[in-house]
Amino acid sequence: MASNYVLEATGLRKQFGQLQAVKDISIQIAPGETYGLLGPNGSGKTTTISMICGLLPADGGEVLVAGMPMTTTTLEPKKIVGLVPQDLAIYPDLTARENLTFFGRLYGIPSATLKARVEEVLRVIGLLDRAGDRSGTFSGGMKRRLNIGIGLIHGPSLLVLDEPTVGVDPQSRNSILESIEKLAGAGIAVLYTTHYMEEAERLCDRVAIIDGGEIRAQGTQDELVRLVGENERIKITGSGPIAAAAERMRQIPGVAGASAADGELSVLAADAGATLTTVLQELAAQGVAIASVAVEKPDLETVFLHVTGKALRD
Amino acid sequence: MLTALTIARKEVAQRIRDKSFFIVGILSPLVLAFIFNLVLGDVVRPSASPTFALGLVDEDDAELGEAFREMLAAAEASGFATVTHFDTEAAATDAVNDGDVAAAFILPEGMSAAVLVLNQEATIRIIGNVDRGIGRAVAEAMAGRFAEIVRTASLSVQAALAAGAITPDQIGRAIADAAAQAPVITAEIVEVRSRQLASATFFVAGLSMFFIFFIVGLSVTSLLEERTHGTLARLLAAPIRPASIVVGKTIASIGLGILGMAVLAIASTILMGAEWGNPLIAALVIVAAVIAAAGIMTFVGGLARTGEQAQNLQTVVGLTLAMLGGTFVPITTNEGFLASVRYITPNAWFMRGLGEVSGGAYGEAFQAIGVLLLFGVVFGGAGLFLVRRLVKP
Repeated sequence: MASNYVLEATGLRKQFGQLQAVKDISIQIAPGETYGLLGPNGSGKTTTISMICGLLPADGGEVLVAGMPMTTTTLEPKKIVGLVPQDLAIYPDLTARENLTFFGRLYGIPSATLKARVEEVLRVIGLLDRAGDRSGTFSGGMKRRLNIGIGLIHGPSLLVLDEPTVGVDPQSRNSILESIEKLAGAGIAVLYTTHYMEEAERLCDRVAIIDGGEIRAQGTQDELVRLVGENERIKITGSGPIAAAAERMRQIPGVAGASAADGELSVLAADAGATLTTVLQELAAQGVAIASVAVEKPDLETVFLHVTGKALRD
Repeated sequence: MLTALTIARKEVAQRIRDKSFFIVGILSPLVLAFIFNLVLGDVVRPSASPTFALGLVDEDDAELGEAFREMLAAAEASGFATVTHFDTEAAATDAVNDGDVAAAFILPEGMSAAVLVLNQEATIRIIGNVDRGIGRAVAEAMAGRFAEIVRTASLSVQAALAAGAITPDQIGRAIADAAAQAPVITAEIVEVRSRQLASATFFVAGLSMFFIFFIVGLSVTSLLEERTHGTLARLLAAPIRPASIVVGKTIASIGLGILGMAVLAIASTILMGAEWGNPLIAALVIVAAVIAAAGIMTFVGGLARTGEQAQNLQTVVGLTLAMLGGTFVPITTNEGFLASVRYITPNAWFMRGLGEVSGGAYGEAFQAIGVLLLFGVVFGGAGLFLVRRLVKP
């Protein structure tokens, strides 16, 4: 029976020396679905997509793309996968049009249709007016859009984006996210890795929380939030021994978890209102100078804190 | 193959855009060859055989003086020397000091009488310029040679006298005649290998061979840089064989190397009067040299882990091969370390091959082509084996 999934990765494993970089990861993505891999740097996201795209041999497990096994040597499944690497994988000495044309040829797009396809992608990524300029002269956001355009040139069924908005200004980031939303709407399966919670929340139909090379939880955002239960998040900013205070917070009755990063303390509690006073008293006792306090409903960051015991930026 | 050509086309476009091909492959060798030729051209290939300016003060003015003048006239006629006659030793000394002549002969008064009649010794003095050692040495050799001729003639004449062929009053005249008629020994340079490049051609060929290493070396360094910048991952994610990436880059490098050499050959012919001989065989030598350089640079680059490391290694190797191979300054000696190691470099074979073409020795030229291709195959094969790991997922 034919699979309904564009991507089926099962039991993927990868080890580098003593480091188990990826541990038994399984992912399925249907056409038109956007699937997010949410995790901090070094959590195994890039290693996972490298195996999915046939760039890295897996130590174990299997990758099927449209039912075809993907390995480092198979060519057929690569024809329907578009990769947008985290690095700006473009040629700065070539124009935007030349970059797209070059990769279009590599993917075997016939000459008769290549030119029209290049123009179409240039329009989608909003670079038609700069198509004849060398990409080395582009702004960071324009380079990112061209980076995405190259991944789209051959009309892939599966688009794999590895942190495509890193180092991009807010305006360009919004433009990139809009483009990805349109692609998913057009029926392309999207695998999106990020360590930005808000991007995963905005784009992804399903999200996997990955940490330490393994998927700690996955599902729709509602499913994931339900994992946290009714816990709310108390977000406190300030100065002083915040990391030490986080340890102390975990011992307070009613606190489900706590973590500290970048001068911000996150505390999960079933009843934030009831726990808040105790938390603030304890912080004062610890010598933390509090700048702001906010209580938030559960979101993906709360989920991440709940399932990993640390904040996404740890 | 189509994929490799697509990659080669992209590579060529990049190299032309970033101007590295124009600067390294054409402009640098051409400008440096022009300067080298201007500064060192006569050192590499003197424009003519040397002529020594000599002076003569003949205070003897008798049979031996006459014989000596005839010897100098013969040397002058052969272009070996120019002779200026002075009336006094003081005038000759001034001329030597002023550098007008390299050395002057002083034939003493009564020299003929002393030698021919009284059978006494006489001395030809030489006034030499300390700064013109070669001219002075030539004068010394000529005087010594004359003394030798006179001595030999004297023995022959004494023998003739003993045999009754001449009478005693004919002795002086007979010795002078024999001395005058003795052949003057002049030097002639006979080059064992006369098929050498003219200076302009030499410098263009040598410097283009040096710089071509950097053009062809870019195939591996660009591969390493693509790995660093992330574009290699994108290429490997495409439905293409990894080998086609290496092949494409190699095609581009060799193509640009040949194009650069061809442009240099034509430009130097027009601008500097370089002479390459038979264009077809010279072209074959050039193609073989580019392949040899590409093979060596692929091997050297294959040992590196980063583009910067590869460039550093390639610079060291390219420079060393150029020095050993005599592509900056010709190695004129046939002895010593340089002479024994120069033919382990493709540079020396390239220069030799072009020299053979220039001299019309096509058989030897094809021998050089064969050796150059061997360099390319051996080092290129080993290099591709090393580079394979760069495109291995």
